[in-house]
Amino acid sequence: MSSESSKKRKPKVIRTDGVPAEGKRGKGDTDQDVRYYSEESEVDLRDPIKDYELYRETCQELQRLMAEIQELKSRGIKENAAEIDERRVQSCVHFMTLKKLNRLAHIRLKKGRDQTHEAKQKVDAYHLQLQNLLYEVMHLQKEITKCLEFKSKHEEIELVSLEEFYKEAPPEISRPAITLTEPHQQTLARLDWELEQRKRLAEKYKECLTSKEKILKEIEVKKEYLSSLQPRLNSIMQASLPVQEYLFMPFDQAHKQYETARHLPPPLYVLFVQASAYGQACDKKLVVAIEGSVEEAKALYKPPEDSQDDESDSDAEEEQTTKRRRPTLGVQLDDKRKEMLKRHPLSVTLDLKCKDENVLHLTFYYLMNLNVMTVKAKVTTAVEMTTAISAGDLLSPDSLLNCLYPGDHGRKTPNPANQFQFDKVGILTLSDYVTELGHPYVWVQKLGGLHFPKDQPQHTVAADNSLSASHMELTVKLLRSRLQSRLALHKQFASLEHGVVPVSSECQQLFPTKIVSRLVKWTAIPYEDYAELPYTKDVIEAGLAEDTHLYYMALIERGTAKLQAAVVLNPGYSTLPPVFSLCLNWKGERNSSNDDNIRAMESEVNVYYKELWGPKPGYQLLTNQLQRLCMVLDVYLETEPHDPSVEGPKEFPQEKMCLRLVRGPLRLKPFKFNYPQGFFSHR
Amino acid sequence: GCRELWTRRPPCRSSLEVPEINALEVNQRDHWAVLAGGDGAVRVLDLESGAFTHELRGHQDLVHVVALREQLPQVLSGGEDGTVRLWDLRLGSQVQLIEVHKYQECSRPQLGKWIRCLATESDWMVCGGGPALTLWHLRSVTPTTVFPLAPPQHHALFHQDMVLSGGVGPALHLLQLNGDVRGRVPVSPPALRSLCLHPRSPEHQVLTVGGNSPKIDVFTNLGYRAFSLSFT
Repeated sequence: MSSESSKKRKPKVIRTDGVPAEGKRGKGDTDQDVRYYSEESEVDLRDPIKDYELYRETCQELQRLMAEIQELKSRGIKENAAEIDERRVQSCVHFMTLKKLNRLAHIRLKKGRDQTHEAKQKVDAYHLQLQNLLYEVMHLQKEITKCLEFKSKHEEIELVSLEEFYKEAPPEISRPAITLTEPHQQTLARLDWELEQRKRLAEKYKECLTSKEKILKEIEVKKEYLSSLQPRLNSIMQASLPVQEYLFMPFDQAHKQYETARHLPPPLYVLFVQASAYGQACDKKLVVAIEGSVEEAKALYKPPEDSQDDESDSDAEEEQTTKRRRPTLGVQLDDKRKEMLKRHPLSVTLDLKCKDENVLHLTFYYLMNLNVMTVKAKVTTAVEMTTAISAGDLLSPDSLLNCLYPGDHGRKTPNPANQFQFDKVGILTLSDYVTELGHPYVWVQKLGGLHFPKDQPQHTVAADNSLSASHMELTVKLLRSRLQSRLALHKQFASLEHGVVPVSSECQQLFPTKIVSRLVKWTAIPYEDYAELPYTKDVIEAGLAEDTHLYYMALIERGTAKLQAAVVLNPGYSTLPPVFSLCLNWKGERNSSNDDNIRAMESEVNVYYKELWGPKPGYQLLTNQLQRLCMVLDVYLETEPHDPSVEGPKEFPQEKMCLRLVRGPLRLKPFKFNYPQGFFSHR
Repeated sequence: GCRELWTRRPPCRSSLEVPEINALEVNQRDHWAVLAGGDGAVRVLDLESGAFTHELRGHQDLVHVVALREQLPQVLSGGEDGTVRLWDLRLGSQVQLIEVHKYQECSRPQLGKWIRCLATESDWMVCGGGPALTLWHLRSVTPTTVFPLAPPQHHALFHQDMVLSGGVGPALHLLQLNGDVRGRVPVSPPALRSLCLHPRSPEHQVLTVGGNSPKIDVFTNLGYRAFSLSFT
């Protein structure tokens, strides 16, 4: 029975997994007995160890029974059949027990498994919960950090500092009571204040813009008004021209000259400006004018000409002439030369008037490619002068302005860069072209503000006003004195050629009343002749006689004695004195190398010339020197000791009063004339 | 940068012309100097006291040159008047007078009678100028040798056994005592005025000459000019 019921209940038990048997029992089995047998509950009651013991026992019993059965069966079949059946029944019972035990074991296993499963599920659930919670925690933490990092836009706005805020903001905004304690409120208040301020400033800005527009419009209007004024002023000026002429105020003329001056090249412009300024300020007798063609000057600047690039110019020319006959090389070179030496079409003229109405005309030209200025000079005299033969060179335009400053002979171009330009076109030196181009003196460059340093070629030399100004006064003075000295010499030469030494009344006291020696001849000699004379070597060696100077020969005679005097006249007469070299022909040839007294005579005129300048400005130096030469020749000849071997009286009796005839180791004669006592003594 | 140490002016008669001093010789041993004056007087200046001790008059015209005789306190002077006079300083007066121009051998009247150069050594004297350069024996007052130099000589010296002289003409003459011209050395100045030998070292001969030019010639060997000093 129990086996049948348990067989019936077995499928129910298997189906209902894990459900407590009591409850199920109550609901499911309605059609069964109230008392049923639940093996699950039995499991809880029985002890597994005892069950195991039972199992072993049962197994042992079974083994014993089987063994008995075996034994019985082996003995015989009939006797033991009942015992075998008994044993069989017993063994069946044991088998039943085993089965039950097996079932119980299975049930226990299942229960165990169910319990484990339950526990595991619980643990899993908790685990999940834990994970969820952890996840949420992390999420919340992230959110928190995000919130903490959050920068609101209000922090980017620059607010005024706290002190200023409390100072400036009105109390209803700043609410110091609240805001000082709470930072949040404080920030809010500050933002409020900022907003208000910005609104105010935006309004101001709009106002300013509108006012600016207004003012711009006003400016426009005034500009138009001014531009309409210019033509009206012009018409007024035109109308005033006749008034100017009537009142002799030639503003317009000066204006026109300044207009023309605008087209002058820079050095000529500097010269023009400085000369007119000087003329207005210091020297009323200096007149400046501009000559030449303004249109040509304007035409110079229209197409940009590269005058440095000779090659391209000549190439262009050559291309043009392939159709025609090619010009010869010489003609090409000539053209290049002409191009290089081209003059600017405008020139500046300076007229210097002197007190006696003689005028020195200077015309200044500018050579564009060479960047030098040249000058041509001309003299017009008030009275027609009789030209003495020897005075031919004195006023010639070529040599009139020679060596105005020492060493400035004007034959070489002062711009060192020109040498390279000349080499390109085969010009040896500028002196070949000086007669038509004018002289490039250094003082002319200085007047034009061009300053060329001595030994270094420079590419461009710009015209400089200050250089011109500092030289203007000195140069004009030198020019005047040069003209006047030359004119004075001119007059003197005319008289000297007739054998008369003109001595003015102021200088009469330098000489005794009676001088017997006379000037017989006065001629001009060329430099080569002067250099060949034997007694002029010392002067040439001392550097006092160069080819820019003027040379003359004077002959003074008394009786049989002839005194030759070779004179070198420095262009800077009379500041620089003429130098005499003497040779006396009387009983032999005596000159400075063999006769100390001739040396002393030379020193009387060469060294002590300052006494002979005469009244300022000293143009009588030359004639006074000649007169003194006559005087010392007299003294020399008269104080010669009488030679007792020669018969007859002395050729020159002593008429001059002398204190002593001989003095000093050189045994010199008394050449110094004392006024007013009228005797001769030694220096 | 030079400063004048002292000045002594010999007394002069008139203020119109102050006489020049043409020559000066110093006696180093006894510290006096002899001056040849332009007024014809030979003066002796005592260098220690600064006073003019002697004034020896006798020349008719200016005195050109003086020379000292070594052994005795005697002074020779030559002047424009053509005389050479011997003065004794102890006696303070002229002892001897030689009128050079009166001797036929040496006088050259066409050049004049003035005596410009004078040198003496023991008993011998050489003098010249207008008259030809002549060697004299003083005790017998005879001209022994006349040197054949045409131009007037301005300065002469005794040197070893020779006489050196220079004058008009750009040459220094080396003359032997018998009258031969041993050498004629060209110099830079066209006329020589002064010759000077280094006094103290006999082994290094240095001769300097100066004259009518801005150059002074220096000789280390009397045969040729070594170099010139020039003024700039």
